[in-house]
Amino acid sequence: MTLLTVEQLTKTFGGTCAVDGIGFTIHEGRCVALLGPNGAGKTTTIRMLTGLLAPTSGRIAFRGFAPGADHRSVIGFLPQIPALYGWMTGQEFLIYAGRLCGLSAKEAQIRCSGLLERVGIASAAKRRIAGYSGGMKQRLGLAQALIHRPKLLILDEPVSALDPIGRREVMELLRELKQETTILFSTHVLHDAEELCDDVLIMRAGRIAVGGAVSEIRNEHRQPILTLEIEQDEQSRNWLRGWLQAPPAYVQSTSANGGGARLVVTDVHAARRSLMGELLESDVRFTKLEIGHTTLEDLFMKVVTAS
Amino acid sequence: MTQWMVLYRKEWLELIRSSKLIWMPVVFILLGAMQPIMTYMMPDIIANAGNMPEGTIIEIPTPHASEVLAQTLQQFGTLGLLIIALISMGTVSGERMSGTSAMILVKPVAYTSFVTAKWAAIVTITAISFVLGYGAGWYYTAALFDTVAWQDAAGSLLLFGLWLSFIGTLTILFSSLLRSAAAAAFTALGTAALLSIATSLLPKALAWSPGKLAGLASAQLTSGTASGMWPVIGITFVCIIAALAISVWSLRKYPSIEAV
Repeated sequence: MTLLTVEQLTKTFGGTCAVDGIGFTIHEGRCVALLGPNGAGKTTTIRMLTGLLAPTSGRIAFRGFAPGADHRSVIGFLPQIPALYGWMTGQEFLIYAGRLCGLSAKEAQIRCSGLLERVGIASAAKRRIAGYSGGMKQRLGLAQALIHRPKLLILDEPVSALDPIGRREVMELLRELKQETTILFSTHVLHDAEELCDDVLIMRAGRIAVGGAVSEIRNEHRQPILTLEIEQDEQSRNWLRGWLQAPPAYVQSTSANGGGARLVVTDVHAARRSLMGELLESDVRFTKLEIGHTTLEDLFMKVVTAS
Repeated sequence: MTQWMVLYRKEWLELIRSSKLIWMPVVFILLGAMQPIMTYMMPDIIANAGNMPEGTIIEIPTPHASEVLAQTLQQFGTLGLLIIALISMGTVSGERMSGTSAMILVKPVAYTSFVTAKWAAIVTITAISFVLGYGAGWYYTAALFDTVAWQDAAGSLLLFGLWLSFIGTLTILFSSLLRSAAAAAFTALGTAALLSIATSLLPKALAWSPGKLAGLASAQLTSGTASGMWPVIGITFVCIIAALAISVWSLRKYPSIEAV
């Protein structure tokens, strides 16, 4: 079921267009990654979804709300760097957040202790937030975003500022949360998205370059790829250099790397047969010939570096 | 309403945790008590200064009790205003700068509640401090000079209290319009000074300006009546509501610093 529909969403700051007419839908229960290099417009998009930033034009429609209506009651948001009141204790902040979302004092208390336990900072509940480490603040931020059981959890770069251990732990938490609610999170690390998400939206320069289910995108953009590695002797290297200068028709694109080449090909059967023949004929001392497929990372790199 | 109370209690807790609830009343009490004591001691202070030529005769007429209390009000009108501006200068801009406003305003919180809870907290702490400070001034005036009728004292307290609240509101307004807390305090104090000066220069044209409040409070003390106070009070309330409305509008438009 569709939870959120975004149409023609645009935001311009002065003369620059940060988000340029993007549109997508988020289905209930999915985990969606908003992927893209720094400056692609991810944070701007997220800020518009949370209502912190008014779109220049376009439409954001939540299920059960009129387009453009105040839908803050169904979203939970964790900004890139969670800003918390340092003079409050973790527990006080969580209860405060819960009460603001309309929970009764008792409910807030129950939710608070449950969540503190869950994000693993129960032992620090009665300490002032000013003394928390970055990872603890991030977890408290996650807890306050979850306090009112939001339908959509929006996280802006939830793991970018964390060390590897903290990153691991937050990812584990997200994996659990994914079972309970719909999640949209932005990241510039493809690996995080691949590990956790059902859907990805790859942004570049304010537009969505590629979007859809991870598995579909993987299939759709999957291309056969040949990886060839050779020994570093004179003859083999010369052959490769010459061959790469005028590659046969089945080779779509080539990229030289270290001691060999990576070839994106159109017809994998023809490529295999013909390349094998050529290698034998010219007596090339190859060390590796691998036939595989492009990964999501190849697609990501292609999309974000395309000019 | 529950949500408003939650917000107000948080502001209150912040005032307690940051010790503002202690030092602001203390400073106001010192301000209030100092004026009558200094006035009472003035002949002795001058006599003991020691740099007077031999045979100098100084005669200072004992001031009337209501005059002493009016002078006390002037203390609050300078140093008191400065303290109120300092207390409230970062109310909105501080939260916006640190990003906490973004954390709170993505929750289903009414922008109006967010601003008015802050405003109510500032008005409360101002009221507590001013009542204590003015009470101290009234007590020492009564002890050292003469008792001022409590009706006149109360009337001037309310009039001057409104002026102080007006300045607090102005600071909140500029705190939501400007990025820098210091700029907000400076602009609010500048506006207060301008209003007072303009009102005394153009008494006819600005007969209803909030800048008259301080003068009316003094008049209430010295003459027992503050003629023409109702229009001024009315205009001040209208100004306070307008300032709050503009703050709410500004916060709705720019809830976080990235959006400014």
